Amino acid sequence: MKRFLAVPLLLAVACKPPTPAEQMDTIVSWIATARMAGDASLRRTTPDKYTRQTLELSDRMLLQSGSELLKSPPPAIDSADFAKVLIRTRFQIKEMARLVEQKAAPEFRQPWDSLGIYEKIVKQASDRIDSSR
Amino acid sequence: MKKILQLSLGIITSVGGFLEIGSVTTSAQAGAQFGYQLLWPLLFGTICLVFLVEMSGRLAAVSKHTVVGAMRERFGFPFFFVVSVGITIVVFMVLIAELGGIAFSLQMLTGIGFPWWALPVSLVVWLLMWKGTFSLIEYGASLLGLVTISFAVAAFRLHPDWAAVASGFLPSMPHSDKARYGFLTVSILGATISPYLMYFYSSGAIEEKWDRSYVVMNRIIAGFGMFFGGFLAMAVLIAAALAFQPMGIQVNTFPQAALLMTTALPKWGFYLFALSMLFACFGAALEISLAIAYFFAQGLGWNWSQNLEPSKNARFAFVYTVIIIVAAIPLMFGVDPIKVTMMSMALTSATLPFAIIPFLFLMNDPIYLGKYRNGWLSNAVVAIVVLLSFVLALISVPLEIVGG
Amino acid sequence: MVLIRDVLDKKLIDREDCDMGRVSGLLMHVGENTQPRVTHILIGGPTLWMRVNPFLGRISKRLGRMWGPKRSEPVRIPWSRVETVGRGIKLDVVAKETGALDWELWLAKNVIEHIPGGGSEEEE
Repeated sequence: MKRFLAVPLLLAVACKPPTPAEQMDTIVSWIATARMAGDASLRRTTPDKYTRQTLELSDRMLLQSGSELLKSPPPAIDSADFAKVLIRTRFQIKEMARLVEQKAAPEFRQPWDSLGIYEKIVKQASDRIDSSR
Repeated sequence: MKKILQLSLGIITSVGGFLEIGSVTTSAQAGAQFGYQLLWPLLFGTICLVFLVEMSGRLAAVSKHTVVGAMRERFGFPFFFVVSVGITIVVFMVLIAELGGIAFSLQMLTGIGFPWWALPVSLVVWLLMWKGTFSLIEYGASLLGLVTISFAVAAFRLHPDWAAVASGFLPSMPHSDKARYGFLTVSILGATISPYLMYFYSSGAIEEKWDRSYVVMNRIIAGFGMFFGGFLAMAVLIAAALAFQPMGIQVNTFPQAALLMTTALPKWGFYLFALSMLFACFGAALEISLAIAYFFAQGLGWNWSQNLEPSKNARFAFVYTVIIIVAAIPLMFGVDPIKVTMMSMALTSATLPFAIIPFLFLMNDPIYLGKYRNGWLSNAVVAIVVLLSFVLALISVPLEIVGG
Repeated sequence: MVLIRDVLDKKLIDREDCDMGRVSGLLMHVGENTQPRVTHILIGGPTLWMRVNPFLGRISKRLGRMWGPKRSEPVRIPWSRVETVGRGIKLDVVAKETGALDWELWLAKNVIEHIPGGGSEEEE
């Protein structure tokens, strides 16, 4: 009997969605990726095309992960506020992608600095979720 | 002097084993998520591989049989058939990943999406196999693969806490994400102890016409080569632990991995990473294509040698031609090579017992090895790897599903 | 000599030191009042696949009739042509004349030589 239960149990475990903490880790990861790619671009150590593509990828992944998290947000965060933070974060990343393409390096720093502030806010939210587990 | 140049066989084998897209991304993921905690499977895998590769070379040098040829003779066609099914699937997936690694590297450098590079990259790999000799491939890939030393430079420049690094060589459990830790452990071992490395190495020994006088040199080549690759894979893990973990970056994609050395080597880090992956994946693609062609040719008794014109070993040439072209197709449709490589590592682990068990018999068979049979230490290592391979075979696919 | 250990699946080499494939099977004559004796070495796909599963052997025969050199029966080499049995089995035959290289020659002529740089099987 146990053997027959093992397969559906395993599938149930496998098919379970990621936890809010895991989703938040993914969001933190992609914001940090955008920051690191932006930093490398500011120091002129990476090609512009790579920076733009990585920023666009970060934006897409943030949209995906953010939507997943906000479908059933954990009680540790205010979902309306967090949704606004995500929108603003994605705006900064899209701005950075636009400005890299236009080779406007000095103007690139402003959204990159703002992204740093949102990164801290998201990390604090992530810490709240971790400590509430 | 000729024997010293043979070190390149060790280097190219380890490039294909350790510095290909699967191993690099797994090491980067491991470092980014668990710091130094996963250094121990890299070390353990390296040591096992040194022994297995040394045995492959010794078998070839003494008996003039490759591992595959000896396996077919000793275990018969039905066993060979079972191994061939597993190895074909695994090699095909790994080849997709390696061609994808070359294509991704070119995407990093040029901005042109990797699907566009899939066909040209495959054609270049195929052309080198079609026209190149074994020595050209061996020396060329090894020389170009030396650019991967930049991984070690980056790790040192980040000034790791060496005491903390040393503690990573002892197994320890993380506080959280245990399934993911288990999955990465299995992936690292599966990526490291890859059977096609042994098939390639023993074939290379025959191509280079090794004899009994190479027995001692074989130990040096296997040891040096595998530790070269293992050391650089550890450097990737250490660099990722320092560059990515503090920022909270999980390395799930190639563009993320490309940032590995931008902090340690600000001016050239990005380009060195792209070039390292380009040449390492190129060497790995050549090695894997040769390994599968050798596998079928030796197992089925065809004429084979990379040094012959294609028409003189038509079936051998046909196999690598078909597999290279077919492996390009999924990439042209945008299949993510990182996802393919993660699946291939789990499958490698699942098929490992069939590849390793023959060693237990072949390396103790006086007909093949005479007085050069395994000593107690080599037998102990093979026995441990056989046990490990059964454990990995059982848990790799479930862990892939749960922790991957 | 132990047939399974020393002969089956061993590499075959012809008079000119050319690889001919591997021993796929052995044909034996079992008489009523005589000791069984090996009469032929078999080389070829159908014999090999029969060892895995008879169904696969039948499929292999059918496919062999449709593709390539269109050979469905295995190559038979008389046991009397065996010179030595050692690391490989040395035969007193020329590989190309036995049919053992039919697939190799067919692929070389119809596929490989049509690709630039493939060379020619007949060139020395």
